[in-house]
Amino acid sequence: MIRRTIAPTLSNTPLDAPNHFVMTFHAPELAREALPGQFIAVAAGGGMQILRRPFSVYSVDPEAGWASILYSVYGPATSTMAKMKPGDELDFIGPLGGRVFEADPDPSCHHIMVGGGYGVPPLAFLCRNIRAANPNARITVISGGRTKNLLVGTDGLEEIGVTLEPCTNDGSCGYHGLVTGRLEEVLAEDQTAHQPSYVYTCGPTPMMKAVGDLSIEKGVPCQVSMEVFMPCGVGICMGCAVARHDGTYARGCTDGPVFPAREVKW
Amino acid sequence: MVDLSVRIGSLTMRNPVTTGSGTFGFGSEVADLIDLNKIGAVCVKATTTHPRTGNPAPRIVETAGGMLNAIGLQNGGIENYLSEKLPYLRGFDCPIIVNVPGEDPEDFAYVVERLTEAKGADAIELNISCPNVSHGLDYATDPKATAEVVARCRRATTLPLLAKLSPNVTDIRPIAQAAEDAGADGLSLINTVIGTAIDARTRRFKLANVTGGLSGPSIKPIALLHVHRAASAVKIPIIGMGGIMSATDAIEFLLAGATAVAAGTANFINPGVALEIAAGIESYLRANDFTDVSQIIGAVR
Ligand SMILES: Cc1cc2nc3c(=O)[nH]c(=O)nc-3n(C[C@H](O)[C@H](O)[C@H](O)COP(=O)(O)O)c2cc1C
Ligand code: FES
Repeated sequence: MIRRTIAPTLSNTPLDAPNHFVMTFHAPELAREALPGQFIAVAAGGGMQILRRPFSVYSVDPEAGWASILYSVYGPATSTMAKMKPGDELDFIGPLGGRVFEADPDPSCHHIMVGGGYGVPPLAFLCRNIRAANPNARITVISGGRTKNLLVGTDGLEEIGVTLEPCTNDGSCGYHGLVTGRLEEVLAEDQTAHQPSYVYTCGPTPMMKAVGDLSIEKGVPCQVSMEVFMPCGVGICMGCAVARHDGTYARGCTDGPVFPAREVKW
Repeated sequence: MVDLSVRIGSLTMRNPVTTGSGTFGFGSEVADLIDLNKIGAVCVKATTTHPRTGNPAPRIVETAGGMLNAIGLQNGGIENYLSEKLPYLRGFDCPIIVNVPGEDPEDFAYVVERLTEAKGADAIELNISCPNVSHGLDYATDPKATAEVVARCRRATTLPLLAKLSPNVTDIRPIAQAAEDAGADGLSLINTVIGTAIDARTRRFKLANVTGGLSGPSIKPIALLHVHRAASAVKIPIIGMGGIMSATDAIEFLLAGATAVAAGTANFINPGVALEIAAGIESYLRANDFTDVSQIIGAVR
């Protein structure tokens, strides 16, 4: 059920990456109901900007009743958020998103997450869910950033047996180059080993297009979580159009945000 | 007891707050967030003869105190509305206003007739003022064209008929009068204010459609003046809208001469806002010793 919640924040922690924060807040229903790929729409004093801002759910603890988001400061609303102290109230609507990441049920599947910037948090959520359902699942996260300290969202994943494959444009960490370069290698290794793979991606649109195209070319199924502007998040404005190959437009918020890569006309 | 009910032609609303067409979907999307049984009326997204795919993205950009949209009337068409959307809404105790755009008077009249025979609406709002499709703006910028559409649709239905007017005119009074003379039971105004936005960094227009319709708090002063002028020119009731975010905003529209109000863009921030506005109007009336909302309609001095 979608709710408007005024939630007390529990922590608002800066990350090593400049201007990036993780905010946790008390939200038992959200923690119980949110699925990987879903998001919340936050109202946070954006001054002359009146619309809510969408943030993917990063992690949840249904038992303790909290959820978190990972965000970077890029405008008035996120600047306000960055100043919030524990106990301050977060006004959000959620969980939002009608179609979410669906993990391939095949126990032998190699789950490959490809993310960039704040596209990584929903993938991290997906990793934790896949792990909880299957202690033996093979999971890899290929995450990209310009430079080492911009790689965010993978904290705690190695501890649950997820293979991290960082990629940086300047070679300061991991693979020197784009995520698609490393993805191509990983997919080739899987193919040689007759290992079925499945790609899940979230991040900047050019990156997701490249990841989607590469997966389709290699015959590997791929789900993309579309990063489109979402003025309402609940399906009432039709402003979040995602073009489909059949010539129609889907709503990024309620028909997505996750789509099979094959459906999207970039 | 405060009487909040108002009438638009033969339509009775239990409180004077409805939703702006295109800003509330078909109600089902937000049913978790607002009790549809309590709302004055639900005005649904524009419904056309045939399905429309809408405009390419980006369709919406945020502006100072508002937003520009160029949705392009994306909708599944009248038959889809009747079979897929209407049954759900009929499960609630709320009047339904259906917004109808059209290519020409016959096209408008076709949808109006279908809605009437299928009992698909409790009132019909003729969208003669959508700035996002070709011809859309033409009707409501010209009294004669306005009269032609309204008169044709008047012959097609006995349901309460509203004409939705455009703010993109020099003087709204002759257009309001033309709609009244042609048989409209009420007026809705304003639709969005035409505008554009440019990205200095990329040196491109921000909307794929180049132009869009401005809505939100930034257009309230424009809307208030048009409502006041239209109210001074006609006897039929007006549903006032344009930048209404709070009960205070809504009260200003009632004072300007609107009989009812609609929240539009505000739904995107708070889908429960229509009921909060209705409750706020009630408190205002009570605090100022009024017993009936009609006592403040047009009461600005
Ligand atoms: C995204 C969006 C879609 C809209 N779609 C329609 C529509 O289909 N038909 C219509 O008559 N008006 C449409 N409108 C106009 C609104 O109903 C309303 O007249 C206008 O937005 C001014 O009110 P506001 O400032 O409260 O939003 C739309 C407005 C927005 C923002
Ligand atoms: S964000 Fe409004 S319909 Fe999707």
